[in-house]
Amino acid sequence: MTPAPKTDQRDLFRGALEMMILQSLRRHPMHGYALVQHIKQRSNELLQVEEGSLYPALQRMLKDNLVKAQWETSASNRRVRTYRITPAGIKHLEREVSSFEQMLKGIHLVLAPAES
Amino acid sequence: MQWLRSLFQRRQIYSDLAEEIQQHLAEKVEALIAEGMSRKDAEYAAKREFGNIARIEESGHEPWMWPRAESLLADIRFALRILLRDAGFTTVAILALALGIGVNTSAFTAYKAIVARSLDARDPGSMVDIALTRHAGDFDPEFSYPDYKVYRDNLHSFSGVIAQRMERLTLTQAGGIQRQLRSSGGTQFLKFLLPHPNVGGAEFATTFIVSENYFSVLGVAAVRGRTFEGGDGKELAASPSVLISENYWQRRFAGDPSILGKVVRLNGAAFTIIGITPHDFVGTSVITPDFWVPLNLLPLVHPNDNGLRDRENQCCRLYARLAPGVSIRQAQAEMTVLADHLRTLHDPHSELSKPATVRLWPGSPFGRTMDSGLKFAIVLIMVAVGMVLAIACANVASLQLARAASRQNELCLRLSLGATRRRLVRQLLTESALLGLIAGIVALLFTWALLKVSVTMAAQAIPAEYGSLVLHVTPDIEIFAHVFAISLIAGILFGLAPALESSRMALSSAANNSTGSSPGRSRRLRHSLIAVQVAASLVLMISGSMLIRSSRHALITETGYDNKHIVDLDIQFPGSTNYTAQRRLALVRELRNRLAALPGISSISAGRPPDGQGIRVAAVSINRDKPSAHNTKGFLYYTYVQPNYLQTLGIPLLFGRTFQTEAGQPESSVILSESAAQQLWPGQNPIGRTLRLNTDEQFHGKNELLPDGVAYQVIGVARDTRGVELDGSDSRQVYIPMPEDRIQDYPLLFRTSADPAQSITAIGAILSSLDPDLVVGAATLDELLHQTPAFLVPGLAASIASVIGLIGLLLASMGIFGTVSYIVVLRTREVGIRMALGAKKRDILGLILRESTQPVLVGLLVGIALAVGASYLLRGVLYGLNTVDAVSFVGVSLLFLAIALLAAYVPSRRAMRIDPMVALRYE
Repeated sequence: MTPAPKTDQRDLFRGALEMMILQSLRRHPMHGYALVQHIKQRSNELLQVEEGSLYPALQRMLKDNLVKAQWETSASNRRVRTYRITPAGIKHLEREVSSFEQMLKGIHLVLAPAES
Repeated sequence: MQWLRSLFQRRQIYSDLAEEIQQHLAEKVEALIAEGMSRKDAEYAAKREFGNIARIEESGHEPWMWPRAESLLADIRFALRILLRDAGFTTVAILALALGIGVNTSAFTAYKAIVARSLDARDPGSMVDIALTRHAGDFDPEFSYPDYKVYRDNLHSFSGVIAQRMERLTLTQAGGIQRQLRSSGGTQFLKFLLPHPNVGGAEFATTFIVSENYFSVLGVAAVRGRTFEGGDGKELAASPSVLISENYWQRRFAGDPSILGKVVRLNGAAFTIIGITPHDFVGTSVITPDFWVPLNLLPLVHPNDNGLRDRENQCCRLYARLAPGVSIRQAQAEMTVLADHLRTLHDPHSELSKPATVRLWPGSPFGRTMDSGLKFAIVLIMVAVGMVLAIACANVASLQLARAASRQNELCLRLSLGATRRRLVRQLLTESALLGLIAGIVALLFTWALLKVSVTMAAQAIPAEYGSLVLHVTPDIEIFAHVFAISLIAGILFGLAPALESSRMALSSAANNSTGSSPGRSRRLRHSLIAVQVAASLVLMISGSMLIRSSRHALITETGYDNKHIVDLDIQFPGSTNYTAQRRLALVRELRNRLAALPGISSISAGRPPDGQGIRVAAVSINRDKPSAHNTKGFLYYTYVQPNYLQTLGIPLLFGRTFQTEAGQPESSVILSESAAQQLWPGQNPIGRTLRLNTDEQFHGKNELLPDGVAYQVIGVARDTRGVELDGSDSRQVYIPMPEDRIQDYPLLFRTSADPAQSITAIGAILSSLDPDLVVGAATLDELLHQTPAFLVPGLAASIASVIGLIGLLLASMGIFGTVSYIVVLRTREVGIRMALGAKKRDILGLILRESTQPVLVGLLVGIALAVGASYLLRGVLYGLNTVDAVSFVGVSLLFLAIALLAAYVPSRRAMRIDPMVALRYE
């Protein structure tokens, strides 16, 4: 099997980042900086992403109406833009997660015989 | 509106993103400082961890802009595919638009290059032209040298005032080879504009006489040597110097590097060349002269004149540079005060002593008051090219409409697949705009080629003796923008109607699913477009054909004298003091004697030819008193002639007698032309009556013969001759006998039975042996006639109008043919059904022809009405035609009808040859 083209890799990663963002927001609305810290902590610092790469992903999701944003004042009296997940975002997340799981299952099935 | 709102939304989104990122960085920095980092390190680390801010912002913008660009690209791709599919339609439409736009752009460029050009100066925006307006509102752009000096030295509104006049001086001792003394080659098209080249050995040099500060005020330096510096008048007088133009230096002296310091003789006076002016530098004119002579050296080239000291002698045109911060209005006010003071210094009888207002206008080589005929011609051309564009647009619009009808199926399909109506309109508009754009590019190339060719032709047509005409007609960025705007507006203009129409059509037909017959509304629109095309082209064609016929008329009209075998010799003497009146008279007498000895020359006279320059007008009284406001019987043209003038020119005497031909002082008698006699004594015998002439208020040269103060007796009446005025008013002539000792002031006229060209060659030899410094212009009266406005104006207008008219005709025929055939093709099914039901071919043909020619007939009617109006406006430039020229009207209308019938006939024949079964299968 030839390696997948680079763009697909990025797409896969983009999808993964989206899922992580949506999942985080589903629990708790938060602003960009907090989101980055949250994802970093949750992944036990395993995911070494540029902090900025979060923002294009957020813009895409805003455009697709998966999240919505609002300027608010934080507890530390800072002007922050808080993101919340929308119903469409929840639906999208669930679909993505299930298809991701399907894919993982598939990959696992393909890889399993090679291991044995 | 939608896209505007989303544009603002997008801005908000972008600024939110930018702010958000800044907040993120600030928060990160604070967190890092809290961990114990210094602020500087923290800022650095925060940025590093964040990544490339610009790139991240950019990719954050991406989701918001993609769909728009993508769909536009898709539209364009689709439009290109559609245009390529209908290659025939596309070609015709692009050609039509390109012609329309190209003609418009050419006219615009030419207007800019020729009429609306500024002075050739540094910062031309602050240059102004100066003129005075007197009581009648006439512009008087010429000033005397003493007045000029006062204006130059006393006005604070200007940082400099300059003066210029143009002269043709004789050039001698120039040495070198005389290259291109006569115009060689050139095109026949414009050649008739210019007088015949001189005969004899002397050279002419077109010279601009300019004030010493001319170059410093214009801000132009010499490319070699130096210009005249302002204020060193004494130095200039001590060692007379002259500048040569780069163009003439190259042409006449082949770029001789040792030209500076060389001495040339202009009108016999020696001048040292001290500098070369830049290539194509025209200053306040439109041509490059050969030499530039400082104004205070004018006496050197005209030693007999008192030109510079005479306050009444208007020598020069004035131009000035406004001082910084001064408006034209302020300068005008200041100068008017001074002009009011200056007029008191003038001779109280002179026109120059009357009250006047100063007029300034942005610097231009042309006077403020363009000749009204010329102005009219320009308006005419602009209207004509506008109409060509209108025809082109109507043409393409009707093609588009017809095509939209045949695209109904496609549009229907797209609508039922869920395309919105807006989407369809946008698609169709994209197609039209694309078409307009391509046409604009083609038009640009077309314009460029057209201008290049015509300028080359114009430049070649001007003999080198007249200096070289400088026209900048390369399409510049401004003109490109002009083309671009026209093409885009045109594209959208003609795209809009069909787009709305076809989307409406598609909707209605999607509902009832009946294709094939075009809805009444769109047919009406199509018909009115055809009518507009026909009407507009009809007006163009009729006007054009009237101009053409008028100029032909000007050619063949009876002149009233023999113009083929009479040669006019216009002698110019060098301006040096050696040429006294006696010497000039002796030279002319000697020339006349030698001419008489030439074979074929039967009669020699002197006087202004009827089609020559220098017409003179006088007020006339017939009650023996000096003509005044109370007793003037109108104005007549007068001309001094030798007693044998009428016989020499072959002007028949109707009754009375001719002048006595004996030498000596002439009798105080005159001969009137028929129409002059008719004006003074209608229906009566004028012989033996007396008249007096008064030229006080009229133009005349210095020291010329004037008929004032003499009571003349009418001794004869001669047949009218045709003159130079467009309205023919100068047929009303008074012929006054000329004293024999004044013949040196007038052209010599001789009749030859030989070929005039041979006689002219023979005269060249006589002149060089008689006096090589004489400059003589020789031309037959026929050639002179071709230079008169009566011939030139309709001639030029006719050539322009016929070109524009032909383009209009071509476009209209294309449009009518294309549209009609499209309509007929759409009716193929109808034809098939009718044939299947047993209709006769003749009936169907009749029906289609009737319906197709109907809009053409409407267009013809409207066009004729408009053309009557146009010809009413044109009557000023038409020579010898009635206001309504029946031949043009009937001829052009019939031609159009024939084209329309043919356009309808050919496709309907084709439609009827189709097997009815094929047509029915569409059901």
